[in-house]
Amino acid sequence: MNLALEIIDLHASVGEVEILKGLSLEVPFGQIHAIMGPNGSGKSTLCHVLAGKEVYTVTGQARLDGRDLLGEPTDVRARMGLIQGFQYPVEIRGVKLIDFLREAADESGIEAAEVERRIVASGDQFDMTRFLTRSVNQDLSGGEKKRSEIFQMAILQPKVAILDEIDSGLDIDAVREVAEAVEAMRGPDVGILIITHYSRILRYLTTDRIHVMMEGRIVESGGAELATELEAGGYEALRSRLK
Amino acid sequence: MLDRSIAERRLTGEPAVLAERRQAGLAAFEASAMPTQADERWKYIDLDFTIDDLTLPDVAGAELAAPIGVERVSARVVDGFVSITGDAPGGVRMGTFAELAGDDGELFGRVVAERSDDIFLAGNAAFSGDGLFVQVSRNTVVADPIVIDVQSVSAGTISFPHIAIALDDNAQASVVLLFRSSEAELAVAPVVESTLGSGARLFMTSVQTWGRNTQGLGYQRVRLGRDASMKMGEVGLGGALGRLDLSVDLDGDGSSYLLNGLSFGDGQQVLDYRMVLNHRGRNTSSDVLLKGAVEDQAESIFTGLLRIEEQATNTSAFENNRNLVLSAGAKAQSVPNLEILCDDVVCGHGSTVGPLEEEHLYYLASRGIGRERAERVLVKGFFDEVIDKLPAQAVAGPVRDEVERKFVAAQEAGRLG
Ligand SMILES: Nc1ncnc2c1ncn2[C@@H]1O[C@H](COP(=O)(O)OP(=O)(O)OP(=O)(O)O)[C@@H](O)[C@H]1O
Ligand SMILES: [Mg+2]
Repeated sequence: MNLALEIIDLHASVGEVEILKGLSLEVPFGQIHAIMGPNGSGKSTLCHVLAGKEVYTVTGQARLDGRDLLGEPTDVRARMGLIQGFQYPVEIRGVKLIDFLREAADESGIEAAEVERRIVASGDQFDMTRFLTRSVNQDLSGGEKKRSEIFQMAILQPKVAILDEIDSGLDIDAVREVAEAVEAMRGPDVGILIITHYSRILRYLTTDRIHVMMEGRIVESGGAELATELEAGGYEALRSRLK
Repeated sequence: MLDRSIAERRLTGEPAVLAERRQAGLAAFEASAMPTQADERWKYIDLDFTIDDLTLPDVAGAELAAPIGVERVSARVVDGFVSITGDAPGGVRMGTFAELAGDDGELFGRVVAERSDDIFLAGNAAFSGDGLFVQVSRNTVVADPIVIDVQSVSAGTISFPHIAIALDDNAQASVVLLFRSSEAELAVAPVVESTLGSGARLFMTSVQTWGRNTQGLGYQRVRLGRDASMKMGEVGLGGALGRLDLSVDLDGDGSSYLLNGLSFGDGQQVLDYRMVLNHRGRNTSSDVLLKGAVEDQAESIFTGLLRIEEQATNTSAFENNRNLVLSAGAKAQSVPNLEILCDDVVCGHGSTVGPLEEEHLYYLASRGIGRERAERVLVKGFFDEVIDKLPAQAVAGPVRDEVERKFVAAQEAGRLG
């Protein structure tokens, strides 16, 4: 069986600066993985490189359900099944969330009636119904923006869902809600990758694997004990252990 | 050569106040020349016609097909000649300037300004076929919109529609103004004046869809009494030239003015918006948002002046102009200005000029929306913000359709970027 996401020796640079330096990672279908890593280690860059943002020079391989991602434009990658929740989702004044979702779903070939059904069901589940007729991300709080990103995933039902800084800026209750939403997304047809700075969220969802990213690569992978180790000694302690 | 004797012929038999106004207008017209770019008010546009190459219409030409989006038309002004359909909502008095000037010279003097500071305003005073007068009396609330269909149809003419709207104290009404013309080469210089008494509320939606070969030179003047408020929706889509010279006097304490407007220029169109808001009373507020798009070789200009006078304490005034430049050959200029003579004010102005934002396109792409559709969604959203706020939502559908038609035409012809 194919992996949901398979990344092999990925390098990415902007101009002369190399940010991703040979990153490899596997996320099987049905699993939730987490990436943790210090500021500036390249986590958001990984997201944008996978999404196909045009500023990077990229080498290596990235496959979604066995199909090559690199080389495809952003919209094609999304329709192949890669949807991301960004660290900083942009506000798009004037474009109503509901219209935005209908356009996106239509472009992905989801039946109109099915889209409406999902909008109602997930709107309820994520308490997003009242934001449907507002502009995309406009005037939403940090937590509401994260919820909106997850809500969009629930409508588009990706094969690979990546959530950058999923719990930054959230209050304690919101962290639990977001974690529960991610857990609810788990299924045999989706592989989920979350990026976080805090082990707190890991209390509310079961991660199958945790990866630590430093200086543009995955330096260590393991189970929940890895988060506990980081919590205790920080990245510095991990660095010394790996030496 | 424009036949000036028409003014003399028209004023014969007219009530004195009107005849005097014509005479003053004619004198001012004789003394004026076509504006040049040396004149500050015309700095950004190069008029490519001369008034003396045009003629004055003698009678109204053949009417255009019924407009879409509106149900009942209360009055038509065709080539500057007024016809009142009798289909006005209850509580509204409508008549010609001649009727008003005959009945109530004082009121006429109050709601029809002596303004002939350029050749078109002077020409309007001198040669207007008829003026249309609309009055809503004290404490009267008119629920249905008063629709006024302004059309210019006769080739080679310049026509001068003139509409004066008076809302007496505490009156409330909504007005829809349609500005349309045939595909013939012609010019039109309509003047619309709104005078609001204390506590009056006016909702006005103006939709300009001049024909391709029309030189449209519109003027609007608003005078607001104490606690009066006006909500304006402005749509500018047509014309070889579509100009609007708007001046708003917030004279009364507590008066307010809100404008949401949009324009979309394509081909060789020039859309020129000039606005002056004078805050004179205390506790007044204004908020202007004008959004424009240009593509192909089109050009748009926004010149906005917020003027806060010394005694206008506790003023709040905001002015925003946002422009999408969709093709390399298109051009948008935005010149917002503040002139603040009072220090007890909250003022803000902003303007942006540029293409669709790549960050927005990227976000849409990340949800699987392809470039063409993403552009369409973003342009629609850009305009929806103002279309949703047009006071007359009945015209929103046709306006949205026309904006989309223009955009899709540009996209299909590969003119974007
Ligand atoms: N477009 C760019 N041009 C130049 N440098 C960049 C660019 N994008 C990212 N970088 C640099 O690459 C490094 C990684 O940035 P990135 O945003 O991926 O880090 P991160 O791991 O997401 O950090 P954080 O935890 O703070 O969100 C940083 O040093 C950043 O300054
Ligand atoms: Mg980041």
